[in-house]
Amino acid sequence: RSYATEAASTGLRLTFAVPHQTLYKDVNVAQVNIAAVSGDMGILASHVPSIEQLRPGVVEVLEGAASKRFFVSGGFATMNPDSTLNINAIEAFPIEEFSSETIRNNLAEAQRVVNSGATEEEKIAAKIEVEVLEALQAAVNAK
Amino acid sequence: MFATRAQPVVSALSAGVQTRNMATLREIQIRLNSIKNIGKITKSMKMIASTKVAKAQRSMETARTYGRTSGAIYTNSNTAPLENESEIFVVSSSDRGLCGGIHSSVAKATRKLIAVPTGSIAGVVVLGDKAKNQMSRSNRKDIHLSFNQIGKSIPTYAEASAAADTILTSGVKVETTTVVYNMFHSAIAYEATPLRSYSLEALKSAEGFSAYELDDEVLENYREFLLANNLYWALVEGHASEMSAKRNAMENATKNAGDMVDRLTMTYNRTRQAAITSELVDIITGASAL
Repeated sequence: RSYATEAASTGLRLTFAVPHQTLYKDVNVAQVNIAAVSGDMGILASHVPSIEQLRPGVVEVLEGAASKRFFVSGGFATMNPDSTLNINAIEAFPIEEFSSETIRNNLAEAQRVVNSGATEEEKIAAKIEVEVLEALQAAVNAK
Repeated sequence: MFATRAQPVVSALSAGVQTRNMATLREIQIRLNSIKNIGKITKSMKMIASTKVAKAQRSMETARTYGRTSGAIYTNSNTAPLENESEIFVVSSSDRGLCGGIHSSVAKATRKLIAVPTGSIAGVVVLGDKAKNQMSRSNRKDIHLSFNQIGKSIPTYAEASAAADTILTSGVKVETTTVVYNMFHSAIAYEATPLRSYSLEALKSAEGFSAYELDDEVLENYREFLLANNLYWALVEGHASEMSAKRNAMENATKNAGDMVDRLTMTYNRTRQAAITSELVDIITGASAL
């Protein structure tokens, strides 16, 4: 019985912050799934401490029965030895708030710039935009 | 005979006193108007600053959470600069004046830190023209980068990350970076505080760091990310302190202008009454002389 209560009290404490908004501040959650550069992973309480770079993709937060999915443009997730998970993302919004129409239009525009005769810098910026938008499109369509 | 001879002298003198009083009255009136106008300007500046403070403070809370979350890795792993590592000082301020002691506060704190550095000084970066002016007075040769167009509105992450990128690609070795900004204590108090981010080697050799698993290829990205996050936090909190200091400075200025207007009005009324009295005295003396 004592072991069970210990596990319940530590739990996984999530702090998910974006420069303009604090999404979660030291909230007890069950599990967090992140899209890391090294692969997708699910993080539970007492996960091995690690630092992961996030790629443009979905961060899913499971609190009890409810799950919230955010699309993240990039950032870092740090799992600390004391069972706290810190996620710093540059932009993160709930998936529901994205409009497929706008994604399609922006993606077409970005792809056009990549294939056009723009400067190298503009092309690289457009390629990044394409990567993010494609991931966003996949995430929005996956729900 | 005494009266007839006295009369022209008295009136000439009194005429002189009258004209002198009139000139002084006019001067006082001009001064009074100018100070009233200044009072109106400072009052409206105070109103503007008040609205900006509320917004800036809200952004600051979010930026603080973001920045503290980002910097937690340093506290969790007890990171400290290695010996012989160079230090870059970033002085975070703005372009605008009329905000009390904001700029001199960060400049003074930076100079104090430069006097006892943890390693060699790689350079000084200034964010904001006023900071540049302040630091040029003492450390002109150390300043190797300066940014302006800061302070007009709440700093965005894009600005902070552009600044971080410029610093990292400026050719100077970036090891320990100490950002000095004004920490917001309360609506009337702020304090210049340093915020450090460390080099890769320092982070890797920190005692608590070996507990963390990570891919080496993301380590450099991580370090740059942490630097940008610190810059963002410093810029936003510095902005909030500045708006608050500006509000206080403008409030004091308005109060002082009000006090001056009161004093000058007194002087004006007294001078006016003295002019009237001396006119009356002329008339009465003249009348009694007849």
